Amino acid sequence: MADNGRKADTVTLTIDGHEVTVPKGMSLLHAAEALGVEVPHYCYHPGLSAPAQCRICLVEVEGAPKLQPSCVTMAQDGQVVHTESAQARRMRQGVLEFYLVNHPLDCPICDMSGECKLQDYVFNEGREHGRGREPKRVFGRDDFGGDVLYYGDRCVMCTRCVRFMDEVARDGRLTVVERGDRAVIDTFFESGLDGASFAGNIVDICPVGALVSKDFLHKARAWDLDHTESVCPNCSQGCNIDLHTRDNLVQRLKPRENPEVNGHWMCDYGRANYEWLNRPGRLEAPAVGRGDKRRASDWQHALHALFERLAEAGGASVRVVGSAFSSNEALGALRALGEQAGTLQAGVFRSRRAEDEDPLPGFPILVRRRDLAPNVDGAGILGFTRVGDDDGAGGLEEAADHDGVLIVVGDELADQDESFGAKAGLFVYLGTFDSPAARNADFVLPVTTFAEEEGTFVNAQGRVQRFRQGLRGPGTVQPAWLVLGTLLAALTGGDRPVSAADAFASIVQRHAAFGGLTWDGVGSAGAALEAAHA
Amino acid sequence: MSDAPFRNPGWAGNTGEFDLSEDDVRGATYAGERPAEGRHPSTSASYPFMLVERDPYAPLFEGPHRERYEKIRSRYPTAMAALLPALNLAQELRGHISPETMDEVASLLGLSSAYVRGVATFYTMYNKRPVGRFLIQVCTNISCNICGADEVLAAFLEHTRTELGDTSDDGNFTVVEAECLAACGFPTCVQINERYFEDVSVGDVPDILERLTDELAAD
Repeated sequence: MADNGRKADTVTLTIDGHEVTVPKGMSLLHAAEALGVEVPHYCYHPGLSAPAQCRICLVEVEGAPKLQPSCVTMAQDGQVVHTESAQARRMRQGVLEFYLVNHPLDCPICDMSGECKLQDYVFNEGREHGRGREPKRVFGRDDFGGDVLYYGDRCVMCTRCVRFMDEVARDGRLTVVERGDRAVIDTFFESGLDGASFAGNIVDICPVGALVSKDFLHKARAWDLDHTESVCPNCSQGCNIDLHTRDNLVQRLKPRENPEVNGHWMCDYGRANYEWLNRPGRLEAPAVGRGDKRRASDWQHALHALFERLAEAGGASVRVVGSAFSSNEALGALRALGEQAGTLQAGVFRSRRAEDEDPLPGFPILVRRRDLAPNVDGAGILGFTRVGDDDGAGGLEEAADHDGVLIVVGDELADQDESFGAKAGLFVYLGTFDSPAARNADFVLPVTTFAEEEGTFVNAQGRVQRFRQGLRGPGTVQPAWLVLGTLLAALTGGDRPVSAADAFASIVQRHAAFGGLTWDGVGSAGAALEAAHA
Repeated sequence: MSDAPFRNPGWAGNTGEFDLSEDDVRGATYAGERPAEGRHPSTSASYPFMLVERDPYAPLFEGPHRERYEKIRSRYPTAMAALLPALNLAQELRGHISPETMDEVASLLGLSSAYVRGVATFYTMYNKRPVGRFLIQVCTNISCNICGADEVLAAFLEHTRTELGDTSDDGNFTVVEAECLAACGFPTCVQINERYFEDVSVGDVPDILERLTDELAAD
């Protein structure tokens, strides 16, 4: 207590009968969270200001004349707080009844159903039966433009969306129009949200089904989706995301909180670009032989034959083409294999670049970067050089005419013609899709996309971030690090990697920039590279 | 002050201020000169002086009105704070706050148009569409309601031959429902432009409308 005159940095209070010590200045809502008690709330969001207007986080504080909004009431020494007292529960039930006065209860056709806070709270604490006899007022829906659709009837007027646009996107286009039961969220008449590049976040932070994604509309039920921790592959910012998948297809991307990278947010560009992960027509089985001699094979025979060719080629000149969409594990193994197989001439990759960056003004760490690929920085650290233009084309002249060993991983060679690699002594193509330019490949080996494997990327901040497997790969596809690592192990007589963790450990061993990092240490939140290399 | 014969159809006694002609109250001189006389400029465009029949496309904030705007703005620390009196001024000049007006006020104050729309729609005293020469606001809140406000409202609608919120064909009357007008001691209370009519019963309605029509004819 404060009696001893020292200024303490923490306060100790009692919440629901449990004593908890929290930093000074923490709200009751967060203090309760530290105890594992979730106080219901709508308007409060950790990334936004707290207007304390939804009135559902009210808790009983002993000594206070009335219930206090826990989102803005700071924890104090000796406070005794009850979140589950009869008074608090009765109040919440009353507030919920008001929320339902005009709510359509259209959960069966609402996209938010299953992850809706109104649904959860009413299910937990609401009245069993409504008492309303009056007809509900009806607004219908409003297309805000972009990916955002507004259902006014479902709205609880928490104004999270208005505050996000105002405080974080710094774009005052959303507002509350009218008042009382006529209040709706709207833009300036028909102006909409077109051109707002972070507007998709208002769909995420909407606690109910008022703001929904047009892309996701009626596509899947929330409880059918699997969530996989991943990293956004659409620019080098590497926003932490969850892949939401169903039926082995990515249904949508959602931001995952990481205060060091993306806060609670992600950009619309990243969010919208996931369909390529679902693209059909993949390479599914290894094939061996050039041009017309191409024959389907299996991994055992293909890898055995490839190992023999590589062993024969010992000392030859080697060129490798990587990709900024490949994991560090794949690129590290590619580089090591290139060095082992002969004299590595060059490792190159190509990547699309946007014309400019797009920062989020209220959270300036988050920038939609110019590099529209997730691992440009990782490729650079692992010794690959960027070639070609800003469209990710060109720059492969030397590789195309190379007469030694040529290994292409992850680059679809879309701008190259059938003469690519015609002079190569040995041309190995590891990819997800067949390509005319792979016609001369001696070995076509199908590999997984990042969503079908585990691995790491290095983002533009020099941060190593792990992604996990959300999809099953088609056919017999294998992760590139496994294919390359197996060949490398066969050439050197070492152990083959059996997990992405093994592959990561071998990069840490070979590249000083990764020094000190461990697979578990990178974890869900990522870890910064040594400052000297970042 | 006029010496016109006074019939009391139910409104407050003839204390003088209710006997101003429409011209006295809404005339350009009266509304326009107040800030120039050095009084509080923030109230210069507030009720009741803003229900002026004006050109909805009148230029905003030009000439003397520009000066009034500058004076208003100078009294507030932020543009947001100056928004209400700026909207008052705009409504005085144009009679109502159209989307175009919201947009103009927004760019003048450096606020987003959506924010101005949010504020303008929050307050019922900003007319979001043109109203008639007389805006008849009938209180239907509790006290008035139990004393027959619904019937009074119906009588106004019947005698002006309008629907709720619409303007009569001659452009004279718009009848709307109002929440409490703070005259609960004298139900039913009806506010017509800047004037209060208290203790209004159904039978008073034709008299009131007749008086208003006479005032128009006298102009």
